[in-house]
Amino acid sequence: MIQRSSFPISLAFVPQGHWTQPHLAIPCLKAWLEARGFDDVEQMDLSVEAFDHFLTPRSLERARDRVHARMGLARFESATLPLSEMRAWRAASESAASADALIAGVEDAKRVLRGTDGGGARGAEDAGFWDPDRYVPAVRTLYHGLRLVSAAHYPSELTPHNFTMGYANDRSEEVRAATEDEEQNPFIAFYREEVLPRLVERRPKLLGLSVLYGSQLVPAMTLGRLVKEALPDCHVTMGGGFLAYIGDKVMDAQILADCFDSIIFHEGESPLEALAEALRSGEEDLAGVGSLAWWDRRPDFAASNGGPRAVRNTPAHPIKLDDAPAPSFDGLPLEKYFSPALVVPYDVNRGCYYGECTFCTLPTVIGPGYRTRSADTIARHVVELRDRYASTHFNFITDCMPPGMIQDLPERLIERDAGITWWADARIEPKAYSEEGAKRLYESGCRKLLFGFESAVKRILKMMMKGQSLKSVVEVARNCTEADISVTFYAMVGFPTETREEARETLRFIEEHSDIVREVSLQTFHIDEVAKTYKEPEQFGIEVLPAPGDLALYHDYEAERGMTQEEAAEMFEEMMQAFREKLPLFSGDNIFYFMQKSHYFLHLANGETPDSFAARCAERTRARAARGAEDDLEVRPGLVAVPLAFSYSDAVRTLGDPLARAARPDFLTGRFVADAERVAEERLPPLERKERVLLYDPGQAEFVELRDGGRRVLEALLRAGGLGAFLDAQRARGASEESLHRVRGFAAELHRLGVLHRAADELTPAARVETPNRPGAERGGSTVRS
Amino acid sequence: MDEAKNEKKEEIVERTAAPLGEAAEEELDLEDLDLSVETVEERISPSETNVFDK
Repeated sequence: MIQRSSFPISLAFVPQGHWTQPHLAIPCLKAWLEARGFDDVEQMDLSVEAFDHFLTPRSLERARDRVHARMGLARFESATLPLSEMRAWRAASESAASADALIAGVEDAKRVLRGTDGGGARGAEDAGFWDPDRYVPAVRTLYHGLRLVSAAHYPSELTPHNFTMGYANDRSEEVRAATEDEEQNPFIAFYREEVLPRLVERRPKLLGLSVLYGSQLVPAMTLGRLVKEALPDCHVTMGGGFLAYIGDKVMDAQILADCFDSIIFHEGESPLEALAEALRSGEEDLAGVGSLAWWDRRPDFAASNGGPRAVRNTPAHPIKLDDAPAPSFDGLPLEKYFSPALVVPYDVNRGCYYGECTFCTLPTVIGPGYRTRSADTIARHVVELRDRYASTHFNFITDCMPPGMIQDLPERLIERDAGITWWADARIEPKAYSEEGAKRLYESGCRKLLFGFESAVKRILKMMMKGQSLKSVVEVARNCTEADISVTFYAMVGFPTETREEARETLRFIEEHSDIVREVSLQTFHIDEVAKTYKEPEQFGIEVLPAPGDLALYHDYEAERGMTQEEAAEMFEEMMQAFREKLPLFSGDNIFYFMQKSHYFLHLANGETPDSFAARCAERTRARAARGAEDDLEVRPGLVAVPLAFSYSDAVRTLGDPLARAARPDFLTGRFVADAERVAEERLPPLERKERVLLYDPGQAEFVELRDGGRRVLEALLRAGGLGAFLDAQRARGASEESLHRVRGFAAELHRLGVLHRAADELTPAARVETPNRPGAERGGSTVRS
Repeated sequence: MDEAKNEKKEEIVERTAAPLGEAAEEELDLEDLDLSVETVEERISPSETNVFDK
């Protein structure tokens, strides 16, 4: 190994990415640089650090005070509430009702998701993560906490899944302005308080920012700008999937040149090493660094306007993946991920061996070609990582494993006695996922596979060039299910020319096979500038419309036939609604298991089967619906009520309408769809004034809307001590049986919602389902609430 | 509740949060009370179904 003189490098994954496990990019880069002799490489997951920072009592107190100052409820007393004010009003209402409870409960909620709440008498076995009655309210508490933080930076929205602002991501002027907007951009203060002091002390020579998603663009540019101000000598480079799409356009936007120095395209290992080596050598001319686009700031090479000149270098050769070291997670704040066990991501291959699907733009993100590690290498690395990080859970990062690997990898893992569980994306390969093959995969630890299913319509599959038959889809999914491997389908709605009836055919297919499909990751179709649908629109019967933003990647389109984009968005709603009714994991609040990457997998890894978990979810939903108006019902402690001038549920319903949703920035790129705001404003009527009461229940972390009469009955129930005592007292005072019957109906509904409860609820049948291999369980045990 | 009552109420409503159990005890006439409960299931957005890619 070549030893280099000290050259501090910092790598950061910037907000926002998912919060349950590390992302893989930076750990791969750190390991590569260290293997090449750079001995001072720091890595930071600023996304999970930001979530952890915002979800503290101190941050939530600040958010509460800020919401109160910026948009207290008193500001919304007009005769009607138009769509343009509805989000702000909703945020103000929720903040008023829930802020204090969130401040009090946020740390406990984090502990539940991290499995560090201590549980009951038996420690880890009883940890709240494994108990849906504690897990779901904890997740909700964190979601509501982020809603409070978002409200404080209105109209920005930070969720575990996305970050958007009032600025469009597809215009460089707006991106640049967003980096300086202290009102809307929550990351400016976070970086100043939590990140910059560390960087200033460390003084890295090179800072690499990982930008995989559109939601990271403004946070990355914000950090880059602050670092360039504080540490002018630090070279700030950026890379990652999202910049692979729009990096060229970013380099045309000189207005962003003070936020970074260079962009690395595609695979980062080799270019980052070459960049670090050039900088360490004091090189100012970076033309020799492959796959790099950079701002040449030398006065003699300035652009015609005197500003820095954009230079684009030739592509670097891809690395030989099998020679790359195992990723290093050293230095990441592993204890901060919202998961009770570390799920280690590991890249088994890069690219796609199939590479034909017409909607896929993977080569643009990862770079051309398909490369894989050998099964031997993978198994060796897995064992190393297992021992190094004391985790037996893995997420194999792959777009799909070729048939040979599906056969070889289980053998190697079993031979090495890896003793792990894992999940991965997959392609329908009937020979590989045979009955025997699926059993072998399970033996090797496979617990969940996600297949690119996309559609059940042959015509659409042919246009997509998926190269799979429905017969194969069913065969593979059934073989996996019978081997106790959970199956998830990726599905797409709105592919060019797809009709509503065809989308419904896909929906029916999934419904009919709900015994072998546990989850569906449904997406609406988008056209980006590198997709075949963009380059050859006539093949797909569409006309691609121009996109005005200088950073625009995605385009609207008009189809000769089939659904419009608006109709596809409506069909998305219809399909999701159907999934929520038909798939146990999507029913009621069980959907949080699906929405928290790896959490359902961890249940499978710890002894549940897909069938037992689905049964558990279905039973939970059924048991809740069956709750009645028992005499021993009591009011749950800690309820808070706020009188409102409009209906909260009407506002939530309106804001969830596809038209209202379209008026918000698109989640993929943060762009605003042309005219969507005006159309939504015209077609969604304002809310009329209605006096309502919003109730926040910290125990369930749920909002419930009542009339003032309902609030008064709850007050009386609280004083009476229980429903039976209340009804007896009212009967003695001469209340009619009809009115008492109405109170029982009211009580039953609030019991279903959790606002009223009885001691027996604390041990629901769902919570008692046995999961034999929970951490800490010596033998089959039941969950007992502390 | 009729409109006149509603309007009168709007004038005096202070929109501040109060924990349940702090209101003064009152005589209830159950016959006149509106006990409707409204909930709405938050719709799942495409960003939230993208959890495996993100």
